[in-house]
Amino acid sequence: MELKDQRTSMVDSFIEAVSDGIELMVVVSDSTSTSKIKPFAEKYPDRVINVGIAEQNLIGISAGLALGGFVVVTANAAPFLVARSAEQVKNDVAYTNTNVKMMGLNPGFAYGSLGPTHHSIEDISMMRSLGGMRIFTPIDPSGTAMAVGHVLKTNGPSYVRVDSGVFPDLPDSEGFRAVDDPIRLSEGGDITILGLGTSAHAVLEASGILAKNGINVDGWGIPSIRPLNMEPIRKSVKKTGAVITVEAHSTHGGLGSLVAEFLSDEGMAVRLKRLGASEGVFAPASPRLSIEKKFMLDPVGIAEAARIM
Amino acid sequence: MNLEKRAASIRRRIITMNTHAGAGHTGADLSETDILTALYFHVLDIDPDRLNDPNRDRFILSKGHGAGGYYCTLAEAGYIDEAQLESYLQADSLCPGHPVRQKTPGVEVNTGALGHGFPIACGLALAARKSGRSYRTFCLCGDGEMQEGSNWEAAMTASHFKLGNLVLIIDRNGLQLADRTGNIMELEPLGDKIRAFGFTLNEVNGNDPDAVAELLEGLDYSADKPHAVIAKTIKGRGVSFIEDNPAWHHRVPMGKEIAMAIEELG
Repeated sequence: MELKDQRTSMVDSFIEAVSDGIELMVVVSDSTSTSKIKPFAEKYPDRVINVGIAEQNLIGISAGLALGGFVVVTANAAPFLVARSAEQVKNDVAYTNTNVKMMGLNPGFAYGSLGPTHHSIEDISMMRSLGGMRIFTPIDPSGTAMAVGHVLKTNGPSYVRVDSGVFPDLPDSEGFRAVDDPIRLSEGGDITILGLGTSAHAVLEASGILAKNGINVDGWGIPSIRPLNMEPIRKSVKKTGAVITVEAHSTHGGLGSLVAEFLSDEGMAVRLKRLGASEGVFAPASPRLSIEKKFMLDPVGIAEAARIM
Repeated sequence: MNLEKRAASIRRRIITMNTHAGAGHTGADLSETDILTALYFHVLDIDPDRLNDPNRDRFILSKGHGAGGYYCTLAEAGYIDEAQLESYLQADSLCPGHPVRQKTPGVEVNTGALGHGFPIACGLALAARKSGRSYRTFCLCGDGEMQEGSNWEAAMTASHFKLGNLVLIIDRNGLQLADRTGNIMELEPLGDKIRAFGFTLNEVNGNDPDAVAELLEGLDYSADKPHAVIAKTIKGRGVSFIEDNPAWHHRVPMGKEIAMAIEELG
């Protein structure tokens, strides 16, 4: 099975967009290597703008370029995009409603040992609190290409969380997918497990582990936060009566919160376990796999959480 | 009508509108009036009939708290109906407390938080260069606003990309919310700082609309350096008891003050 960095898929989609006639402008903040933008820059050197290490300016300039008629993409590390430029994202992009598509690269614990300055476990929480912001969390290379292609063709602000991890396409990737539809990972009646973005791969593996122990998982990959088709989740939870959410994000404000709010709003009294960086803590400056293990986001940890439930 | 008479008319609208609303940034509105007059009645190649023309000049009021002066200028120039000024600050008004492009015809960007307009203006100017359009971009910042670091990030960018089609105008009235700018955070030598960032530097009496118009008309917009204008102004200009008084940052005339202000504005 082919493994591909999702950023490579993203850049391929940029190249395709320009060849489709989209007036694209890619803005980076010294993040040419972070964004793996080289193949695009070589093909379209006039369509890459580097604003230097100045992330507030990255967003302000991008909003201006969008108001000047371009479809604008920003591509830099998620921690320095969302937290550093929060007010620019809020006012210049969301409130002014400019046609800016923000790629949050290497989110979650992707930077592992570099520590909390480089982790981005609050980006979804912050983006969810903004009006008019669409949020996508692609799961695999094909899903990334689909999400990026979608936002480039849809007017208005968007945030796409693009994990730097190397992942295969999910087994069903040949089939039909909508950009905001949960993707089935496994079918079972004992427990629902939802994996946000690339955490879906760990959920898939955990489902296999649990199946051997006689626990049948209804597993779903979640490729978006807003919009997101909640129907499959409602049906699944109604069937199993128990749900675990898995995300490389704080349990505050991400998928776990979204599901908790949904279940509460719908009056569905079921057991819910939210796996992620625990409420109110920073993740340690440790390798990614070690952090995932600590917060039970690895397949073994997810399976253990399911057994406890 | 000459520019001075236009400016006086806009100032009367400001006093009337702010007193009717019972709130407003009167000092800022009166400070910027002559600059806006020069822009909207002499310099800008824009028109209420072609609000979406991609070749129109762009103006961004980065000091969004000067919205009152902006709306009165837009009303004077025919972008919005005079009656809309009466709804200033009211629920669902087309004239809210800070500019909103989805509400008010002619407004390009939603400002209010300081230090946002100039980076966006740089992006607009860069877009013109990238797309081969000849429109010019003008951005008006408050002087206290130059304390925002984002403006200096943008200044580096403007210079790096040789944006001669961009003009940063600084409303240099020497006052900010709490006190004189020099007492809060010294800006001087402001001109030297701007020059050091690679701008052509121009200084003008920002309360003389003819002088502002003449200066802006004379700039070389095909140059490879961005332009900066330090427009020396008096906050509250035109009404003696409002002028240069920090207490009038966010205050409006009341009682006898209303008639006194209108009388002074002729």
